[in-house]
Amino acid sequence: MKFVLVDRITELEPGRRIVAHKALSRAEEYLADHFPTFPVLPGVLMLEAMVQASAWLVRQSLDFAPGLVVLKEARNVTYKSFVAPGEVLTVESVCKELDAGHSSFAAHGHVGGREIVKGQLTLRHLNLADTDPGLAEIDERNRAAQRALFERLMAGPAADAAWRG
Amino acid sequence: MPTLSRQELLEKVRQTLVDALSVEEDEVKEAATLTGDLGAESIDFLDIVFRLEKAFNIKIPQEELIPRDILSNADYVENRRLNATGLAALKQSMPHADLAEFEKNPEIDKISDVFTVGTIINFVQAKLAAQGSSG
Repeated sequence: MKFVLVDRITELEPGRRIVAHKALSRAEEYLADHFPTFPVLPGVLMLEAMVQASAWLVRQSLDFAPGLVVLKEARNVTYKSFVAPGEVLTVESVCKELDAGHSSFAAHGHVGGREIVKGQLTLRHLNLADTDPGLAEIDERNRAAQRALFERLMAGPAADAAWRG
Repeated sequence: MPTLSRQELLEKVRQTLVDALSVEEDEVKEAATLTGDLGAESIDFLDIVFRLEKAFNIKIPQEELIPRDILSNADYVENRRLNATGLAALKQSMPHADLAEFEKNPEIDKISDVFTVGTIINFVQAKLAAQGSSG
């Protein structure tokens, strides 16, 4: 599977808050096992959607300085309901702290008004060159790829057409 | 395999859950719910089923443990709750579960509360008995 768990970003307040969406398709391969006759978005991927939404806020707020934004800690993650094919998981993540190297968020996901998942996240921001200067080129490629993907997530169909065109 | 006592079953199931969920042994009591008390989420159920099959040398078709086709059947579910027909179907397909609490408020989002350590032990016990009798 392609490990992109955010399809669209609709709201972003730099350094403060982001609203992003993940649509669930019946065609996603992992649903065949999770579960047969009852496909639902795995809880771990709900968590990943919250992490990725938060990571986009970090990158945009820091002007894409970190090549890597990773989950350091997840606390009090609770699951209330499940996401079925055809539904869209809306993730809202509120930033509590943000500096060059770390950030923390209170995130929650819902489908329509139905609460699905929530949790407290700590993310770590880094570049490979921090520990190995020889890898700076990979960091640059990561940053460029993240910028390009971010443009598409933010602008939706119009940006997709521009990219193709 | 000689018949295991309930205590022996509990010990073996406990070890399985400790390994799968990284919880402490004393957290794994019979009444503990897998999701609420032991912090399991959906993908953990796949891991737990796999480990139980290995530990007890049994086959567990997923639909036997969790009757998902009932939960997704439009005839049984209204406004995210099981109706009377749905509840009857659930009881029939989950003899290993204690549905008394769930029945009071049968919301499909709460179905995971039905999965206690005791439910798992009952299920394994029934599976082993059936296997034993078929030789």
